[in-house]
Amino acid sequence: MLAAACGAARLLSGVRGGAGSSLLSSQLSWTIQFRGNHWQTSMLAFQASLPMRAEPKKKKKVDPKRAQVQKDRMKKKIKKLEKASQEMIPIEDFFTPTKFLDASRVREISPLSFEESERRALLLKKWALYKKIEHDAEMETLKSLMAAQEEALNELRLESEELYQAAIKRDDDLFPYEKEGPSYTPQIPGYEAPEGKCIDVTKVYTH
Amino acid sequence: MAAPGGWRGALWSRGGGKMAAPMQRGLCGGAGRWRGALGSRCLTAAAASPWRLLGALCLQRPPRITPALSPVQEEMARLVQQIEVEKSHFSDHEIRHLVEEEQLQKKKYNIQDEATDSGQAILLAQDLEDAWEQKFQSFKAGHRLTDADKCNDRTSLNRKLDRNLVLLVKQQVGSQEQWLLPQAEWQAGETLRSTAERVLATLSGNHIRAKFLGNAPCGFYKYKFPKAFRTEDSVGAKIFFFKALLQSDDMLQAERRGEYAWVSKGELGDYLKPDYLKQITSFLMDQ
Repeated sequence: MLAAACGAARLLSGVRGGAGSSLLSSQLSWTIQFRGNHWQTSMLAFQASLPMRAEPKKKKKVDPKRAQVQKDRMKKKIKKLEKASQEMIPIEDFFTPTKFLDASRVREISPLSFEESERRALLLKKWALYKKIEHDAEMETLKSLMAAQEEALNELRLESEELYQAAIKRDDDLFPYEKEGPSYTPQIPGYEAPEGKCIDVTKVYTH
Repeated sequence: MAAPGGWRGALWSRGGGKMAAPMQRGLCGGAGRWRGALGSRCLTAAAASPWRLLGALCLQRPPRITPALSPVQEEMARLVQQIEVEKSHFSDHEIRHLVEEEQLQKKKYNIQDEATDSGQAILLAQDLEDAWEQKFQSFKAGHRLTDADKCNDRTSLNRKLDRNLVLLVKQQVGSQEQWLLPQAEWQAGETLRSTAERVLATLSGNHIRAKFLGNAPCGFYKYKFPKAFRTEDSVGAKIFFFKALLQSDDMLQAERRGEYAWVSKGELGDYLKPDYLKQITSFLMDQ
């Protein structure tokens, strides 16, 4: 750079060869004085200031490389974190909050009388029998339904193989099937439910 | 194997011996009632069956309210509730209630302690409960027993809300008008399920939406025509039933031609012939 500066001075001196020596010296001082900072030793090479000179010269090629290397390191770190087993989301229902374990919360119930415990035992037995009868009836109904369908399909097969094949095809439009179940009282036509706000306080866990 | 019923009560066994003859004569498919029209897709070795095919629709309105609890169920429900309360701990609301009761008790005995009362909460747990109870009472729920129930209007869909209701129509079969599940003759080129869908469309003119439960029939009924009506090609008919659940709430248009009724399983006996009824009840759920 110094050489270049001297070269610039020499050029100038060469051009103005005919001018007086006083002019040359003033021009020389001009080329040297007009610098941006004390690091900038030459006018021509703008980027050759001292701190920048300390870096590698070819910046355009290497900066993207460095950026790439940095990105790879970050990706490796992320992969390591992902590989490590993730923290399980706690199931709220399985943990009893401590305020419910307080002794003051326990209900004081007098022990059951003999009649009451007998009544309960007998009722449970009656219930078991009732449910068994109900279950058997349900199973019978289902068997009858299935038998009726089997018979119908057999008869259909006797009639026409083609219709039978069409009948045993899976119906893709059947599921998913959503239907609202029965309620205790029937729907009131034109009923407007009162306004209200539902504030959802469920905890949402994000990674 | 269900015994197929005869038309007008004629027994099938009388015509049993003559089954073979019509089948042989009906081999040629020239008449093309429904066999010839199948064309190249028809199976080669199948003899032309003398049974006419019909597709019928078993349209059900699912129950809208839960059935009433039987006495055993009610007792059990009460017992279960009792046990649940016994095994539970006090909730926040109950604790608040107990604390406030204690305070009230104390106030009764120490009437001079009025200084402490000024900062107390005015709304007690008991007051809250009373307010909730009042609000509940002010809500008028729909009646489980509707007007249609009281006057036994069989054409109404609002009757017997806790049961399945099936649609019955009065149709011309042969020379008679009979109550039966709506049916139509199967036409060549369609599946039996599409026959049933056609039945639904003709009944309602596309006002009713129904969900068909699968491609397979749920039951069938076959009967032979009286001897006078039997021909070579049609000895009898086989009706295949398809179940569908009613989805749209609006009732059938009143201007429908012909009579119709929505009946529960127990009331089917009032309308249907015994053999037909027996086949139908085999694929209907109780009530």
